[in-house]
Amino acid sequence: MYFLFEYLHLIFSGFLTTVEVTFFGIAMGLVLGTILAIGDIYGGKIVSTLIKLYVEFFRGSPLLVQLFIFYFSIPTLLDIQIDSFTVGLIVFGLNSAAYQKGYIKGAMASIYEDQMMAALSLGLSKFQAIIYVILPQAMRLVIPAWSNEFCSLAKSTAALLIIGERELTSAGKTIAGHTWRVFETYTFIALIYFVWISAVMKALDILYEKVKIPGLEVSL
Amino acid sequence: MAEIVLECRNLWKIYGKVVAVRDVSLGIKEGEIKVLFGPSGSGKSTLARCLAMLTKPTKGDVFLRGECLTRPGVDLNKARARIGFVFQHIWLFNHLTALGNVMLGLRRVLKMSKEEAEKRARRALREVRMEEWADHYPAQLSGGQQQRVGIARALAMDPEIIILDEPTSSLDPELTGEVIDILRELAKKGTTMLIISHEMLFNREVADEMIFFDEGRIVERGPPDHFFTMPKTDRARRFMERLIKQTARD
Repeated sequence: MYFLFEYLHLIFSGFLTTVEVTFFGIAMGLVLGTILAIGDIYGGKIVSTLIKLYVEFFRGSPLLVQLFIFYFSIPTLLDIQIDSFTVGLIVFGLNSAAYQKGYIKGAMASIYEDQMMAALSLGLSKFQAIIYVILPQAMRLVIPAWSNEFCSLAKSTAALLIIGERELTSAGKTIAGHTWRVFETYTFIALIYFVWISAVMKALDILYEKVKIPGLEVSL
Repeated sequence: MAEIVLECRNLWKIYGKVVAVRDVSLGIKEGEIKVLFGPSGSGKSTLARCLAMLTKPTKGDVFLRGECLTRPGVDLNKARARIGFVFQHIWLFNHLTALGNVMLGLRRVLKMSKEEAEKRARRALREVRMEEWADHYPAQLSGGQQQRVGIARALAMDPEIIILDEPTSSLDPELTGEVIDILRELAKKGTTMLIISHEMLFNREVADEMIFFDEGRIVERGPPDHFFTMPKTDRARRFMERLIKQTARD
């Protein structure tokens, strides 16, 4: 295993890329997914149809195809260049938003009507009701689904190796190619994924317990 | 003569083929307490929600101190802030403490500072004798306590009228008393109220007028004693008999 020390910098920079893309994707997915969920509930027919098309595209096509479209097709069409890291941020953000929209909308729908009416009765606007009453409860409900989304997204970032981005899996491939120590290399890479993903999942579990509404056991 | 605070004229609410409220006209004057009662599913709640503009009437008008709320372009949020509403199923905000529930409207609608809102919210909680429970979440409170917070939440906004939609019907009999006590105190203070309630002893005690509601319309109205002695319509008489029998059993 000691030979891996020589490549630590490579592993570390790959790991950093993986973490960056994952966190950015999750964060962008959360913000955009929330906006899409609100748009889907309130936006009327046209907006809601557009949102559905968006969601179906990202859920209904392979991630690799999405990466190719943003790495090859769109730059060719617009005659621009996008580096593979930026493509990763965009695609994982847009892709995750499509999934997170579903989770957030579901959570919002489950607490929507009575809480909304109570908020309106105080004179809050619909928008205020969403911000101060609906979302704070929906976000708590969505954490378990969110933890799944994180888990799946973190591993999907390995697909970036296809468009030449040097993330964690691609670092492993490079090392394996140099050293031919395939077994140790990939075992070590897998271990890194396992450790960091487990750590974040554990952190989300703790967060879920921490923000749980006292006395109210939210179960999905 | 006292001014009419909230009024509806020829109000209709139709859901698809179901007529929930048909052609109802009703006004509540300053300091007046009106009690609405009648069988479940008769459209009482729908009428109450239309009056508070929480549900849009299909036809007819609602006036708050003479200002028409059913015209387009009216700021309904502002109007709703002036009308207190207490729900049958309470509907506290689950993620906020009792204090947080009462403070939300003060902060976000009346735009009070945090200190000011907290002071007023605590005062409202004291009025319903829930001050000690200020830091508890709804799920940690009993039904009766929750409903008292619900009343405090409406009260704190200093509304011109409070509409209470069967405030005790989702509570166990032993919890009903504590809520009724609070309502009795509000009545003594001269709070303008429209109450949907089948607590007949309470109704008789506080109501200026009682309205028997059935199949989406006002069947009969009059002072409480009228219903306890000689309701005119058959339907009201039968309903009263049943209620009185039930009360006697309780």
